[in-house]
Amino acid sequence: MELKFLVVDDSVTMRRIVNNSLKTLGYTNVVEASDGKDALSKLAADSSINFVITDWNMPVMSGLELSQAIRGDAKLGNMPILMVTTRGVKEDIVQALQAKVNNYVVKPFTPQVLKEKLDQVLANIS
Amino acid sequence: MSIQTENMKEIFGKIDDLKAVFKVGERILPILTSLIDFMGEIIPLLENINTSISDSTNQMPKVSNQINNVTSATELATTEILDLVDEISNELNDIEQAITKILELNQTRDDKFNEIIKHVEGNDKVIELLNEYKTISTYDDTFNIVREVLAKISNDAFKITMSLQVQDITSQQLSAVNHLIESVNTRLTGLVKEIDSSDLKKEFGSMKWEDSESTHFDGNASYIDREHKQQEVDQIISDQKQVASQEEIDKLFS
Repeated sequence: MELKFLVVDDSVTMRRIVNNSLKTLGYTNVVEASDGKDALSKLAADSSINFVITDWNMPVMSGLELSQAIRGDAKLGNMPILMVTTRGVKEDIVQALQAKVNNYVVKPFTPQVLKEKLDQVLANIS
Repeated sequence: MSIQTENMKEIFGKIDDLKAVFKVGERILPILTSLIDFMGEIIPLLENINTSISDSTNQMPKVSNQINNVTSATELATTEILDLVDEISNELNDIEQAITKILELNQTRDDKFNEIIKHVEGNDKVIELLNEYKTISTYDDTFNIVREVLAKISNDAFKITMSLQVQDITSQQLSAVNHLIESVNTRLTGLVKEIDSSDLKKEFGSMKWEDSESTHFDGNASYIDREHKQQEVDQIISDQKQVASQEEIDKLFS
């Protein structure tokens, strides 16, 4: 299965960094969105997207709300979601788990950590 | 007689009570005077504070805007750095591909060389010269060193990319500061409005002791020289009895 990623972050810088990191890991099929609402539009328009990497703090719709929306959607419900965020306190992580994200990466991250978490998510869903 | 004595006692008792009230009033009055004077003095200070808060409040949107500008500028600069890093990475990749192609061509050259050797078997001098030529024209080791250097540069360039996450983190911190400034601004604006609407200057700035009939206290009341004061009262009463009805006199005590 070829992976097509949706990278959701309001920061242009972070989108590029995540995108570049994915390229170094061999993943070149990447779509970007600037917030949760934009992400939902992209997901609705492109059914080939099969992995979401999202920031938490974003305008319009947060990553947490996006995760809840995806999990509440009949078609997208099983979409793997990796949260990449600066929020690193226990309460936040618990909240993200309650929103059923598959894994959690704290910024600033290294490509190794990103790879490790991607591999874990992919191993769990396969 | 006994009834009159009782009445007199009662009157004296009330007079004592009145004396006590006067004593208390006399003690409190200087304090009240000082308090009013203090309020009069503090008003300009409050006005200054109010002005300072107003000035600070007016500056806050500008500060907030400057922070937003800093965020935009750093994001733009970061994008430019990322563009350059991407460009460097692409060029490194091009060089890497070129070297790979050269090494592939070297392999072809070696194959051709081996074919030539087969055709000149027995001619030792030619074989010797060809082997020398092959040794001189082989750069594989050098190219491998260059490849290693290129890989290191590429890796360092990627590390620069990853380090630029700091821009996102600092922009979030600046957003938090901005939010805090906006919260303080909102509260200070509310405070300034409240101070303005309370019209402190009007209420207290012009405050002074008034001898007006509208006030229900006597600003000049004093327990000092009370005997002389009483005499003045008695004289007024005496004069009033001559010209005024009892009802008017009673009003004087009411």
